[in-house]
Amino acid sequence: MDQDLDAYLPDIAAGDPDAFGRWVAGAEDRVRGSLMGLAAHVDVEAVLQETLLRTWQVAPRVRPDGRPNALLRLAIRAARNLALSELRKARVRPAVVADLERLPEPSAAMSGPDPLLRRVIAACRERLPGKPAAALLARLQGPGKADRDLAELVGMKLNTFLQNVTRARKLLGDCLSKRGVDVDLELA
Amino acid sequence: MTRDEALLIEQVVSAWRPRDADGGVRAHPAWHDLPDTLREEAARQTRRQRRMEAALDPDGLSGTAKAVLARIRGG
Repeated sequence: MDQDLDAYLPDIAAGDPDAFGRWVAGAEDRVRGSLMGLAAHVDVEAVLQETLLRTWQVAPRVRPDGRPNALLRLAIRAARNLALSELRKARVRPAVVADLERLPEPSAAMSGPDPLLRRVIAACRERLPGKPAAALLARLQGPGKADRDLAELVGMKLNTFLQNVTRARKLLGDCLSKRGVDVDLELA
Repeated sequence: MTRDEALLIEQVVSAWRPRDADGGVRAHPAWHDLPDTLREEAARQTRRQRRMEAALDPDGLSGTAKAVLARIRGG
């Protein structure tokens, strides 16, 4: 279902972080998707987070232009420009940068997961065994924290923690596959 | 993929990122140690993970969204 996320723009412009959170919930995957073609050259997660922080800062100056999702379209352009700037700083060959600059601008159209799918994912998560479940939960509850700190919180060595997160993600993926869910397609 | 490479990917899938002196978000240190093909794989796995995180969260927020909102709120 298409949604115009600019509905949140007045509250975001007024400085409401909750409204920005609702906007990010709808926009994040589209902005991330726009960067996937550059993933061999930039850390997409870092560029995305920096883009979202800058989007929050410039949102009060954004004016709707009569088309839906003005803020999302701005964020996609900003993400791409930031990524290309990172490429130049990293001295990636100019010919490679030029090729990447020519990639078509991604669409801002979007959709979201349906409630049934959410329940299937939650059910699969509940089936995870103890240590992988604990490691994954720590990641979910402490997304801004370094893995070393999260590992300490759950009483694991760093490598053990990472192995348990990997195992949790694999088990979750296997469980979803068995239930006919392709995360790449269904949640796109 | 070697065991060490798998561990590097798992670190990159995390939403934690270091900041530079100006507060800018920087690449994960483990990302620099990955070859190009595995950087793309890490990005794919991260996207899949964020979609699942968002689907599991009552407000639809992924780890990325939560990390960014924590920064905005002064974290």
